[in-house]
Amino acid sequence: MYGRKVKLRFFFVLLILITLILSIYLILKSLEDNVVYFQSPSEIKVLAEIGKKKIRVGGMVKNNSILIEAKSIKFVITDFKNEINVTYSGAVPNLFTEGKGVVAEGFLKDKNFFLATKILAKHDENYMPPEVKAALEEK
Amino acid sequence: MASLIGSYSLNLGFCISFLIIFYSVKNFRNSNIFDNKIALLTFLQFFFVIISFLGLILSFVNSDFSNETVFNHSHTTKPLFYKISGTWGNHEGSLLLWLLVLTLFIAIFLLSSKKQTKKYRILTLMFQQIIIIGFFIFIIKTSNPFNYIFPIPNQGLGLNPILQDPALAIHPPILYLGYVGSSIIFSSTLAATTLNDISIDWAKHIKQWVLISWIFLTLGILLGSIWAYYELGWGGFWFWDPVENVSLMPWLALTTLLHCILVLEKKLVLTSWVIVLSISTFTLSMCGTFLVRSGILNSVHTFANDPERGLYILIFLFCLIFLSFFIFFYFHKIENKSINNFFWLSKETSILINNWFMMYFLTVVLIGTIYPIFLEVISSEKISVGPPFYHKLIVPFLIPFLLAMAIGPKLRWIKSNLQNKLYLILYLIISFLLSALIIKSLGISFLLNTVLVSSAFYLFLITIRDFFTKKFKNLSQNIAHFGFSLLILSILFNNFLSTEIITNLKIGETYESEKFKISFENIDKKNEKNFQALIGKFNIENKNGDNESLQPELRIYNQPNIVTSEADIKTNLFTDKFMTMNLVQNQDYFNIRYQIKPLMIWIWFSVLLISFGGLLSFIRKYEK
Amino acid sequence: MKSKIFPLFLLIFFLIIFFIFFKSLQNSNIYVPKSNIDKDIPNFNVKKAGKNNIINSDEIFKNDKFYLMNIWSSWCIPCRDEHPFLMILSRNKNIEIIGLNYKDNSENAKIFLKEMGNPYNIILLDNEGTISIEWGAYGVPETFLIYNKKIIKKIVGPIDEKVLLEIEELI
Repeated sequence: MYGRKVKLRFFFVLLILITLILSIYLILKSLEDNVVYFQSPSEIKVLAEIGKKKIRVGGMVKNNSILIEAKSIKFVITDFKNEINVTYSGAVPNLFTEGKGVVAEGFLKDKNFFLATKILAKHDENYMPPEVKAALEEK
Repeated sequence: MASLIGSYSLNLGFCISFLIIFYSVKNFRNSNIFDNKIALLTFLQFFFVIISFLGLILSFVNSDFSNETVFNHSHTTKPLFYKISGTWGNHEGSLLLWLLVLTLFIAIFLLSSKKQTKKYRILTLMFQQIIIIGFFIFIIKTSNPFNYIFPIPNQGLGLNPILQDPALAIHPPILYLGYVGSSIIFSSTLAATTLNDISIDWAKHIKQWVLISWIFLTLGILLGSIWAYYELGWGGFWFWDPVENVSLMPWLALTTLLHCILVLEKKLVLTSWVIVLSISTFTLSMCGTFLVRSGILNSVHTFANDPERGLYILIFLFCLIFLSFFIFFYFHKIENKSINNFFWLSKETSILINNWFMMYFLTVVLIGTIYPIFLEVISSEKISVGPPFYHKLIVPFLIPFLLAMAIGPKLRWIKSNLQNKLYLILYLIISFLLSALIIKSLGISFLLNTVLVSSAFYLFLITIRDFFTKKFKNLSQNIAHFGFSLLILSILFNNFLSTEIITNLKIGETYESEKFKISFENIDKKNEKNFQALIGKFNIENKNGDNESLQPELRIYNQPNIVTSEADIKTNLFTDKFMTMNLVQNQDYFNIRYQIKPLMIWIWFSVLLISFGGLLSFIRKYEK
Repeated sequence: MKSKIFPLFLLIFFLIIFFIFFKSLQNSNIYVPKSNIDKDIPNFNVKKAGKNNIINSDEIFKNDKFYLMNIWSSWCIPCRDEHPFLMILSRNKNIEIIGLNYKDNSENAKIFLKEMGNPYNIILLDNEGTISIEWGAYGVPETFLIYNKKIIKKIVGPIDEKVLLEIEELI
């Protein structure tokens, strides 16, 4: 019915289409597995269950809450409404100071304790991470 | 005074744009020879922009705080070098630099394209002028670097000290040369498409521009990475941060384009590909500027952001996209010959396969970068996409990519066969055994690692063989591919062998682990012109008896008041020893991070080698 | 037919992207708190300029008179524009002007006041910018007119002649 060339062409287009769909599926699938959701201390307080996935918590470092020990750093993140205790053992960024915005990435132990694996801060002191801003706005 | 002259000549340069457009349209219709008036006006425009830029530099050097940009970003105590680099270290100045490079490149283009047809030259110039006008309006309307303050302040606010770094001082200009180079490719492709003049000769002519922007873009990314490693003190060189990603995306598109042009230079195929890639390279560069400058990216690098500026770039960007769409669909005639007119086993196929892989990598980076933005708009859910996403999706596909990179250049154009190719399999077996042995001895038992390392080794060995057998034939390509294999190998082994220790120590305390002992001996204070330094003295004792002393620094800058930590890095040929310390408010403890990072210097070197390959190709072309 | 669908499809695709980028521009990363007029002033502890002890806001606003709380900074350019009006206002005995020095360098602030005059009865320091957030300030300069511990007027941006007249009418 169709010539060999047309068939070949059809096959070629089909191949491309399949690859395209496959790769898009692959991308979206692993996107789902690897995104890190952001939550504020207040949102954590109303969580139904404690997930196993990595999350980010943002807010202000509460005044007079930083406590350093040899192995770990403990502090409290607050959104002026609710608070969460954070334990962290790792390198802290330069702009990590009491009364400033902070975003911690890690795992929830329960609704009051958070085990951070990474602390993020910005280069710019006048900047507020958008997550922190949103969390503070909900106040 | 300097700032006043700068302001006037900026506006004059803007006016010239319209003169150029006017004469170009007239010349395009009427005569057959290129009107030299247009070239003259282009040079004049470049001259005005350069005067304007010099005016800004002079204002910075003289610390003229009646200029708002200088006031916001400079300080009298700043060293002269950073006063000058401060000129483009901020939003306004960096845009002026964009403009400067834009006008410089179009002037060079006019000089170097005398052999091309008149219509093509004028059209390219006109498309380029559209971009230039866009930037002029953007600068003058939303981010004028010459705003005047009265009464004049006595002192400026200073430059963020984290930006006071030699690598970062030259990073923006180099990166912009790459970005803006892609604008010439963009304009010239549109011009050639409009005239239906995508030909082998055109490919030869535009290849120079592709090479030039590719070299600068590669170097620009390298410098940014070096800065992140030495200055940020996070102990890494690539974090898959959105701001880094937006510079990687045009690079991927441009690298693909470079390979397509190589095909097009030989044979008139893949023309649509070339057009699409040229358009996307420039669009991605612009998109990067938009994402970075508008502040909608959720990145660890921040820039002053202003929604109005973002809106302007956004509209401008989409105007350009729609314009190029129109031209592509309206003027471009798809070649009648079918795509399959080369044999499946040929150089073309392998280049095409690698292009598909490149496009895949590009899609992954693109989606990872903008997906959070989309999700936030659609569901107001805030997320971030971390490095595991990229690693998972990119690393496995590096294997076939590397293999194709090794085998591809061995094939002939159009049709190739497998005779005398037995050594290819031999090398594959050798590299597999070699890497299996290495991975085994390192004690990492992942199957993926072995395959990954062996494919990188394969490319490594094949390219080394070519240095001896082929001598000078295809030398530039060989160098670049060799550099790439070296890069992948260094990154892999860097990943396998890195160790990191993070701990909190007081002065006089000692940390002990299985492998080494870190003792915090004492701390020194030093006063510099614009900062106060705390220098920690650490002694690291390896279990095999080696002693090493490292002295990381904390700098407390006075203008603006910011603390930065300077890593102390001991580099040798095989490994870097990296240490940072950080002070936490009101505490006696210092936060210490000690890392051993092997082969760091080879990562930098291999990227240099890759761009050297490009440079060699450029020079050879030029000599011909 | 086929050749027209494809461009159209792409066009729509890019329009969607444009729309999404456009929307995302509106949630910019600059902190904008809600306004609060006719509310009680927030209670806060603050350091006075040049002194080390910390005082409570109740002590500052204790008298039965008008207070004008002006958030300013030496690096803020509009603050320079509004400064002469504050100087005029400072001659009025019915009102006490309180300056909240926002994220500033103290040396620069001193130079600024020396150059332009000092209209403030008290200068408070807000180096971290947290007090301004509690007040619901959008940025610098911003001014609050306070009476009986309530915010009765809020001026975003610099004070000009018109605002000056309004304030003078109120007090």
